Amino acid sequence: MAIEHLDTRPGSERWTAAPPGVRSDVLALLHRVGWVKILLFLLPALLLLAVYLVIPVAMLVVMSFYRSTMFGITRDFSLGNYAHFAGNPMFPYLLLKSIRMALTVTVLSLLVSYPFAYFLARMSGRFKTALLILVMVPFWTSYLIRTMAWLPILGIKGVVNYSLLSLQLVTKPVEVFLFNEFSVILTLVHIYLPYMVVPIFLSLDRLDVRLLEAAGDLGANPLRAFWHVTLPLSMPGVGGGIVMVFIAGFGAYVTPKLLGGSSGIMFGNVLADQYSGTFNWPFGAVLALIMITVVILLLVVASRFTRLDGVFRAQA
Amino acid sequence: MSEFDLEFRNVTKDFGEVRAVDDVTLQVHRGEFISLLGPSGCGKTTSLRMIAGFERPTRGDIYLDGRSVGDTPPYRRNVNTVFQHYALFPHKHVFDNIAFGLRMRRRPAAAIAERVERMLALVELPGIGGRFPHQLSGGQQQRVALARALINEPTVLLLDEPLGALDLKVRRRMQQELKRIHREVGVTFVYVTHDQEEALTMSDRIAVMNHGRVEQLDTPAAIYERPATRFVAGFIGLTNLLRGVVEGREGGALVVRTADGARLRAEPADAAAPGTTVEVAVRPEKIQMGVEEPRGADNCVEGRVAAFVYQGVVTEYQVELRDGQKVRVIVQNLRETWGSSVVPEGSRVYLHWSRGAGLVLADTGMAHVETGDEDDAVAAPRR
Repeated sequence: MAIEHLDTRPGSERWTAAPPGVRSDVLALLHRVGWVKILLFLLPALLLLAVYLVIPVAMLVVMSFYRSTMFGITRDFSLGNYAHFAGNPMFPYLLLKSIRMALTVTVLSLLVSYPFAYFLARMSGRFKTALLILVMVPFWTSYLIRTMAWLPILGIKGVVNYSLLSLQLVTKPVEVFLFNEFSVILTLVHIYLPYMVVPIFLSLDRLDVRLLEAAGDLGANPLRAFWHVTLPLSMPGVGGGIVMVFIAGFGAYVTPKLLGGSSGIMFGNVLADQYSGTFNWPFGAVLALIMITVVILLLVVASRFTRLDGVFRAQA
Repeated sequence: MSEFDLEFRNVTKDFGEVRAVDDVTLQVHRGEFISLLGPSGCGKTTSLRMIAGFERPTRGDIYLDGRSVGDTPPYRRNVNTVFQHYALFPHKHVFDNIAFGLRMRRRPAAAIAERVERMLALVELPGIGGRFPHQLSGGQQQRVALARALINEPTVLLLDEPLGALDLKVRRRMQQELKRIHREVGVTFVYVTHDQEEALTMSDRIAVMNHGRVEQLDTPAAIYERPATRFVAGFIGLTNLLRGVVEGREGGALVVRTADGARLRAEPADAAAPGTTVEVAVRPEKIQMGVEEPRGADNCVEGRVAAFVYQGVVTEYQVELRDGQKVRVIVQNLRETWGSSVVPEGSRVYLHWSRGAGLVLADTGMAHVETGDEDDAVAAPRR
């Protein structure tokens, strides 16, 4: 379903003057402001993008064709790194496994976040602010601490096992909680929850309640009003949350390294090892490019279903 | 089947300490166009929201088509609303917006398509079903909102200041449109507005509301010509209030003597006991003004022109009576040159009016008489 606009202001000149479209927006801006000013204003951002995005990615592409030998990196053109990736089934397997884990993290995170964001948006006053701050607090805490915090919870002598033992539900500590896929996924859901909650909350919070009254007035019971009005109008937030959590989860390597054990290892760990362990930068470049490609593909697919720019649009 | 499509029986609505609607009882006939008119905070929108089901009465009961709807949620009421800011679904095409109600009732797709086209034709917007609401002008959005509500064939159509967001020209045209559509579909319209002109020109009957109460419920002409209270007289149109002491009765009228000795006749005859001080209300355009003393006039007072404002169709005079009271008089500029038709400042004039034009009004405790949009009131002549 294509969400064209969240702007519900009637007769808003901005939308009635010209049908919205990226091209006409740009043309209108050009006409009003002029080339030189636009370039001047964009310059800092363009420089930043060039230095930190375009040039590094270009270097990655070049690097991916180099060869790593015992004596360092040899600068010649070779497809050996790509062949190495295709030739060893472990790499495609890990790639698919990471996509699967990131998807699992995303879906679980969505299932937890949507109801929470929904009730947060329906609340008002001090309680709402307090809860919103509670969602944001982990952002200010170190990623490492948030990951490590799960050790004393899930570990053999951890809180969960201690509780199970004292309740005599088990006779010896359960080891399945930690150092596997489960602990990685659980921790990633926890760590990236704000990325999902906040965009969904924002899209629900600016939802015009009069639209829900209108739906009820036209015969929609609360459930159908949610399905036909609330849900579609919150899709930009959902899409934004999905993209952010998936990208973050897909690229995770610290959490799987600390809590994943051997079965919880992800693609990001292999990639990181090429740089910090085996010093095979050219092969690392190949792995990095593959990750970037997967993410770009995801963005293309996601943008077909929702308008992602809606996530960042100012409140209507 | 009830004779009334809509009935309020002693309906009261409190929001915490605030009483928004205070013991309102009214009946709306089938197919009637009724307006709830009043200043902001008078309870008109709350009344509308109670009919729609968005609010529940604190006390009393609302009947739709003879059935009490106290606990019926909005989606089970056969009532539809045109919202103040239209509340069109921004993510749905015009077609899907209008079809929404029928889809909720799970009507077959072919029937829906046909009905939507008919509604688009009714509101004179054929062929725009594929557009999004934000691609329409305010007036067009208004029509879509109307079509979206009417397609469900509601018992009562509720309109919450539907023209408030439109500019004056479009608003005038939409007033005509609404009247035409009301005639064509024959549905009962309940129209909330704070615009007295809108209420007067469009309604079959008007309920003038103030502080949660209905001050008067009557036809536009009766509301204007025979306002029941000082609030109604002041809110709708302009009115002069002349203070005097009741002398007695004379042939079905109350006789009131002003401070400068003039004897005024006012209705109703039993409004006040002799000896009490009352105020006689007279509309400025009911007063005739002349430089010579008229013979045999029911009511006549003498004064001096203090100021005048020439307004094209009319000239509005400010006349100061001998006892200091000021009277507003609106005189139509019937002659062809204004220079000869105007009465200059300082002129001695006689004001006279027929006996039915003077009213003694019930005071509902509102010191509110000069309210109402004064510019509007003078600019728009009304019958």
